[in-house]
Amino acid sequence: MPDILISDPTLRDGNHAVQHQLNAHQIAAYCMAADRAGIPVVEVGHGNGLGASSMQVGESAIDDATMLRAAREHLVSSKLAVHVIPGFATIKRDLALAIDLGVDVFRIGCHCTEADITQRHISHCRQMGKEVYGVLMMSHMASPSLLRDEALKMQSYGAEAVVIMDSAGTYLPDQVTERISELVDRLGVPIGFHAHNNLGMAIANSLAAVKAGAQIVDGTARGFGAGAGNAQLEVLVAVLHRLGIDTGIDLYGVLDAADLAEREIIPKLPTINSVSVVSGLAGVFSGFSTHVSRISTEYQVDPRDLFFELGRRGVVAGQEDVIIEVAIQLQRSKR
Amino acid sequence: MRLPSQNESITSDLNCAIEPHLSALAPLRNSELLVTGGTGFVGSWVAEAVAYLNDHHSFETRLTLQSPRASQFARRHPHLGRRPEFQLQDIDVRNLLELPRQAAWVIHAAASPDARQHASDPTRIIETIVSGTSALLKAAVRSSDIRRILNVSSGLVYGAQPLQLERVPETYFGSLDPSSFTAAYAESKRLAETLCASYGSQYRLPISTARMFAFVGPYQMLDRPWAVNNFVRDAIQGSNLRIHGDGLTVRSYMYPADMATWLLVMLVRGQDGSAYNVGHPDGVTLLSLAEKIAGMRPKEIRIQTDVLREARSIRSRFVPDVAKAGRELGLSARFDLDTSIRRMMDWATSEAC
Repeated sequence: MPDILISDPTLRDGNHAVQHQLNAHQIAAYCMAADRAGIPVVEVGHGNGLGASSMQVGESAIDDATMLRAAREHLVSSKLAVHVIPGFATIKRDLALAIDLGVDVFRIGCHCTEADITQRHISHCRQMGKEVYGVLMMSHMASPSLLRDEALKMQSYGAEAVVIMDSAGTYLPDQVTERISELVDRLGVPIGFHAHNNLGMAIANSLAAVKAGAQIVDGTARGFGAGAGNAQLEVLVAVLHRLGIDTGIDLYGVLDAADLAEREIIPKLPTINSVSVVSGLAGVFSGFSTHVSRISTEYQVDPRDLFFELGRRGVVAGQEDVIIEVAIQLQRSKR
Repeated sequence: MRLPSQNESITSDLNCAIEPHLSALAPLRNSELLVTGGTGFVGSWVAEAVAYLNDHHSFETRLTLQSPRASQFARRHPHLGRRPEFQLQDIDVRNLLELPRQAAWVIHAAASPDARQHASDPTRIIETIVSGTSALLKAAVRSSDIRRILNVSSGLVYGAQPLQLERVPETYFGSLDPSSFTAAYAESKRLAETLCASYGSQYRLPISTARMFAFVGPYQMLDRPWAVNNFVRDAIQGSNLRIHGDGLTVRSYMYPADMATWLLVMLVRGQDGSAYNVGHPDGVTLLSLAEKIAGMRPKEIRIQTDVLREARSIRSRFVPDVAKAGRELGLSARFDLDTSIRRMMDWATSEAC
C-alpha cells in the first residue's frame, strides 16, 4: 500500500491540449506503459469527461466507448478511472456504459459550489459497487469554509475521497495548505489535489497538499494537460521518492511512460506561455486556453485582455460560449 | 378480498420479540395508535408489530400511518396497507392540525435519517423536525384522549461518542458543533426533545423519548449511505467490500423486531419525560462486520480496507448503553447480529426478485 495514491489523468486532461483528438492507438500505448510503471489509477476520456464530446466544448476524435475499451484492454494492475460532470454525463447513457465497460473509479466533478448536483451520480456509482471520488473544480472560487461544506456534502452522498482542483492554476502553496488542512481536519475520507501549472506552482502546490495531509495527488506525463499543463507526473514521483514518500510507482517505469507520451501522444509539450500566466492570474479554467487563443485571433483582441475580462466575470468550465461574447465586446470597445 | 399474509420469518421474529411483553402491551388493546412518518423504516415495523398483535393475540388495535405519501404504502406493502383496521393518511406533519379522533397513542417518527438529504436540504430537515414536532404537540394539546406520545429521536443527539466511552448512556449530554450545516439533523432532534420536555412541563402532555441507534434487517433500503447497507448490497452483487480507514470504527445493530417491540413498550410503559436508548449494546468493528457479511455469501468476497498506508484515523463509535431500558422496562435485545444480517440479506434478495 502506498503512502500517497497517484492518479494519472494524462489521457483525460491531456485531451484538452489536443482538442480531444487522442486516438485509440495512443490510449492503448500509454495505458500499457502506465500499467507497467505501476501507476495506480489512470483516467481516460474527453477533457471534460464522460459524455462531454460536443460542439460547445469540442468533439472527441473517438467516442467514449472506444476510448474506454482501448484503455481497459491494456490496464491490468492499474485501475481505470473516468471524470464525470453531471449534465455532460447522464446516468442511463454514460454511467451505465462506463460501468459495463469495466471502469473502476468514478470521479464525479462539479463546480466547487455546486456539490448538490453530484448526489445522484455519486449514489448511483456507489450502488453499483464502484469506487467513487467527489471532485470540486475551480476550487479557488470558493472560500476554504465553503469548500469544506461542499466536500462534506459529497462525503454524505457516499464519495470515498474528495479531490479539489486548481483548474485555473492560480494557487500559491499557502492557499493550498489552508484549503487541504481544512478538508483533512473536517472530513472522514481521503483528500486529493489536482494541480495546474499556470504560475509554475504545480509541483510545489502538490507538495504543499501532501504536507497538509492530502492522500491523493494527480499528475500527468510531461504535465500534459489543459493550459500550462498539470503537475508533471514523473517529477512528482521523483520528488516524493526523494522525500521518502512511497507512491508504489516504479521510477524508471514512469520515466519510460513519460518518454513514450512525449513521442506518441504529445504534439507540443506544455509550456507556461504568456496566455497561461494571465489565465492563472485571472483565475480562469485552463481548458479555455485553446479557445481563447483561437477566438482572440479571430476577433483581433488581446488574449490577455480576454482572459482578465473572463476572470472578472467569474466564468467556469462549460461556459466556453461566453468567450466569443466577451471577445466581441472587447472588439467593440477597442473601436 | 383476501389480504396477502405477513412474511413468515417476520411473524416468527415478532413472536420471539413481543411474546415476553404481551401483558405490558395490554393497554394497546382496542385502542388507536397514530404513527407520524408512518411509512418509513420505523413506521413499517410498528405496523408489522401491530398486525402481529391483532392477528395472533386479538389486540384489535387500530393504526393510522401518516406521511406525505402514505397512500403509496399500500401498493408497496399491501399486506399492511390494505388491512381494514389500518388507515393511511397523506399528511405532512408540518401541516397537522388535529390528531385522528380517539387516537390514544402517538409514535412521532417523522423525518428521514438519510445523511444525503440532510446535506442537500438541511433547512428542510430542520423545518420538518422542529415545525413538525411543534405542530404535533399543538394538536396533542387540543386532544383529550392522548395517553402517551413517544418522540422518536436519535442517538446522534449525543454528538461524537468518545472512543473510550464503551456505551453511551442517556445521561451523557455530548457535544455538537452547531455552526455547521452537518449538525442540522442532530441539533433539530435535540430541539425537538426540548420542545417535548417543554410541552410536557407546560401542558402536562405525557411524552417519552426513544433515541435510536443503528438497525439491520428487513425494510432497510440498500441504497442508504450506511456501512452495513453498503456491505450487504455489495456482497449480494458479488463485489468487494470496501472500508474507509482501518476498519476499527465500531457500530452496533439491533434487529427491527426488537426495535418495534421496544418502541411499543416504551410507548405504553415509558416514564413521562424520560429518554431511552434504542439499539443493540454489543459493538462490532466494521472490519468484523464486513468479514461476517462476506462469509455469508457462497462466493469468495474480498474485503478492502483503506488503500493508503498512512490513512488518517477516522475511527468512530456509536454504541448505546441500554441498561435503563432493561432496568425500567424489562427490555433486552433478543436477536444477534448474524441473524439480523441474514434476515436483511434474505429480504433484499427477495425484494430484488
